[in-house]
Amino acid sequence: MMGGYGDIKLLNDDGTRLDGRAVDELRPVEIKAGVLPVADGSAWVKHGLNVAVAAVYGPMEAHPRKIQRQDRAVIDVRYNMAPFSTSDRIRPGFNRRSREISKVTAEALESVVLVERFPRSKIRVEIEILAAEAGTRCVGITAASVALADAGIPMRDMIVGVASGKIEDVVVLDLDKAEDNYGQADLPMGILPNTGEIAFLQMDGDLSVEEYNLACEYNYKAASEIHELMKQALLDSASRGDA
Amino acid sequence: MVQLVPQLLRQQLAELAANDERIDGRSRWQSRDVELEVDILYNAEGSAKVVMGDTIVYVGVKFDTAAPYSDRPTSGSLMTGAELRPVAHRKYEPGPPSPESIELGRVVDRGIRESGCMDMESLCIVPGESVWRVMIDLHVLSDGGNIFDACATAAIAALRTATVPAKRFDVGEDFKLELKSTPVMCSFTRVGGRYVYDANEAEELGGDERVHITLGDEGHLHSLQKGLKGVLMPEEFAEILAQAGDKCAELRELIHSKEA
Repeated sequence: MMGGYGDIKLLNDDGTRLDGRAVDELRPVEIKAGVLPVADGSAWVKHGLNVAVAAVYGPMEAHPRKIQRQDRAVIDVRYNMAPFSTSDRIRPGFNRRSREISKVTAEALESVVLVERFPRSKIRVEIEILAAEAGTRCVGITAASVALADAGIPMRDMIVGVASGKIEDVVVLDLDKAEDNYGQADLPMGILPNTGEIAFLQMDGDLSVEEYNLACEYNYKAASEIHELMKQALLDSASRGDA
Repeated sequence: MVQLVPQLLRQQLAELAANDERIDGRSRWQSRDVELEVDILYNAEGSAKVVMGDTIVYVGVKFDTAAPYSDRPTSGSLMTGAELRPVAHRKYEPGPPSPESIELGRVVDRGIRESGCMDMESLCIVPGESVWRVMIDLHVLSDGGNIFDACATAAIAALRTATVPAKRFDVGEDFKLELKSTPVMCSFTRVGGRYVYDANEAEELGGDERVHITLGDEGHLHSLQKGLKGVLMPEEFAEILAQAGDKCAELRELIHSKEA
């Protein structure tokens, strides 16, 4: 999965990255809540050049009935990349990648939403990636969490999507497109900032245990930074009063 | 809920119409505020966002190269797709493109194509072998009514600010897509028995048929579509066509104001 490194140089001589970031520095992140008027909750996240929008509908009656759970709500997540979100246009519709991301994202969100409060109902979470520049699943999780909070759905905590990886044998936070394409490892995580629990975890590439530990440390540090922006977005939306 | 609410709403809309009023306080031919942003998405070679009241749409333009059609060996091609994804409203379900989304894509496509605003010959790379294919994708994020005008406005704005990525395809230097005119759509919906411009969500829910009109720079008609159940008289069409001229000119001015 991770491309090999070799000819492509991803680190400058002074140890900074091609875009000038330090190894433990995030791309710029902007978050807004309450951006879609017809949804029950919504969020817009720009992370680097990634743009994700999430909408939440519900809780609503779960149908077809076979998906209902007697003791809890089901969370129905769709992660979708817009046809124009990537360098080569992608055909609309679900593919294996988007199905898998939707599944693990739903399971992550089910671990924080108080689903037992809404038996037999469904909460729809729609994640639309409008521009993709590496790390869209994490941006989607962050957006979905803010949208759920904006919808007033009770949660134990929000989930912050963050990733670290490895380029030229160096662990770095938040891979951009070139680093993702030519790097050696990627460790996306969904972190609950208040409890420190991990709700989402994937990894591919090659990391030693020490490298994993460092990547993990970077992710936790970044999660608390992004969490502040998530809270601020919700406060701003609430004070605008149009959420 | 599905049955009862529209019935009560229809009654309310009819009473408002009788007093020449609308549910959100607008006058009959008044549009909601329109916001337009262009060139906002990384990876799309042309992009635009339109906000009209509670409606929000994004449009992206992508290019690739393909073999031309055998009967038009020097002509590029245009494709317009629309997605009414479940993000846009609780009424939309996941699944293959619905008839509604196909209609939306085709009506927007016709207005652009038939206006002749794109010089398809300028999109030829090697005659008979390779031409540019222009792909417009309409992406509705929030359906608060009149997504047709929002999509058509965003589509022509995205096209007019698009760059053909020739360098990425190794066929020369990037160049601006050339557009000769600005076809603009405006749509009218029968609400409470009479036509109004730019219907909102409630007016569509409790209204009847809609008529979409695309006009070119000279005021010529380039596409028409009547959608949904209902009928209209020629005098009614004449009335909305007269309004369409002014409405399209306003939108065209907005689109041109975003061009560098």
